Amino acid sequence: MAIEQVLTRLQDLSFPTQIRESDWLFPTIETVHVFALVLVVGTIMTVDLRLLGFANKERPFSQVASEMLPWTWAAFGIAALAGMLMFSSKALTYYGNIPFRLKMVCLMLAGINMVIFHWLGTRHLERWDRGRPPRAAKIAGGASLLLWTTIVAAGRWVGFTT
Amino acid sequence: MIEQFCDWLSRTNISVAFQSANWFVPLVQTVHIIAIAILLTSVYVVSFRLIGITRSGQPLAVVAAKSTPWVWVTLCVLLATGILLTITEPARELLNWAFRVKMLMVLALAAILLLVQIRLRRSPEYWTESPARRRAARGIGIAAVIIGAGIVTAGRWIAYV
Repeated sequence: MAIEQVLTRLQDLSFPTQIRESDWLFPTIETVHVFALVLVVGTIMTVDLRLLGFANKERPFSQVASEMLPWTWAAFGIAALAGMLMFSSKALTYYGNIPFRLKMVCLMLAGINMVIFHWLGTRHLERWDRGRPPRAAKIAGGASLLLWTTIVAAGRWVGFTT
Repeated sequence: MIEQFCDWLSRTNISVAFQSANWFVPLVQTVHIIAIAILLTSVYVVSFRLIGITRSGQPLAVVAAKSTPWVWVTLCVLLATGILLTITEPARELLNWAFRVKMLMVLALAAILLLVQIRLRRSPEYWTESPARRRAARGIGIAAVIIGAGIVTAGRWIAYV
């Protein structure tokens, strides 16, 4: 079955149809999405800024990360769920939307960046946990900042092109 | 009166210039959202400590002092980008009740943050000195969390009411 058919079936389901036809459901889900993503971006940026040496320099990196990242994941789960509901209401439109695709690619890259950092960037963490991170960790932090900024920009751009 | 002001503002050269660049509003909104992300996270870090949801190795006064510059700098960025958006579409903002509620909540949140910071500057133990103060701190923290969420909610609903 072609992807277009799958997406058509998805958006014809009862809840996606309800979201599309209701006056208040989409804005409400979108509000939850924005509230959650604001916390995702804020907590991730706190960790990124620690890696880059702009904030929380006097605290161990591991402490900042373990304080922030559980909230990041919780908020990300909510943002993703709300995002999927919004997507389901106009799946075909979003699928064909270039900013939406850009956003999904950046989300994937942000995920890959995080996995690589987790595997490679935190080796010898004990050597720099209280001090300046090595260049690789700074690059990961900078990439994350850039990707999340692009994700927000692309997300906003979706709203102006659908 | 406000209608006439909106009408006048929307016909000024600067407003017309912003309106005609279709990338302008999404770009300014993006900066606005990133600033909200930093502001809300800073506010919630302090609020969660006030409420007692989180504890870190650092005293509340230190946590609050570190968040202070982020809070006020991002508030200035939000004000500046908010003004740009208002210049571009005055009637969309100034005649909108969600916008007005949002502005009231911004003022309330700023007042709360100022109160928390001023008290802590006077005495780092201020919010933990007595059970009554701890209760007050919890109430203030909860209020800040709710108002913060309310600001984001009202902000998004400007587009719909």
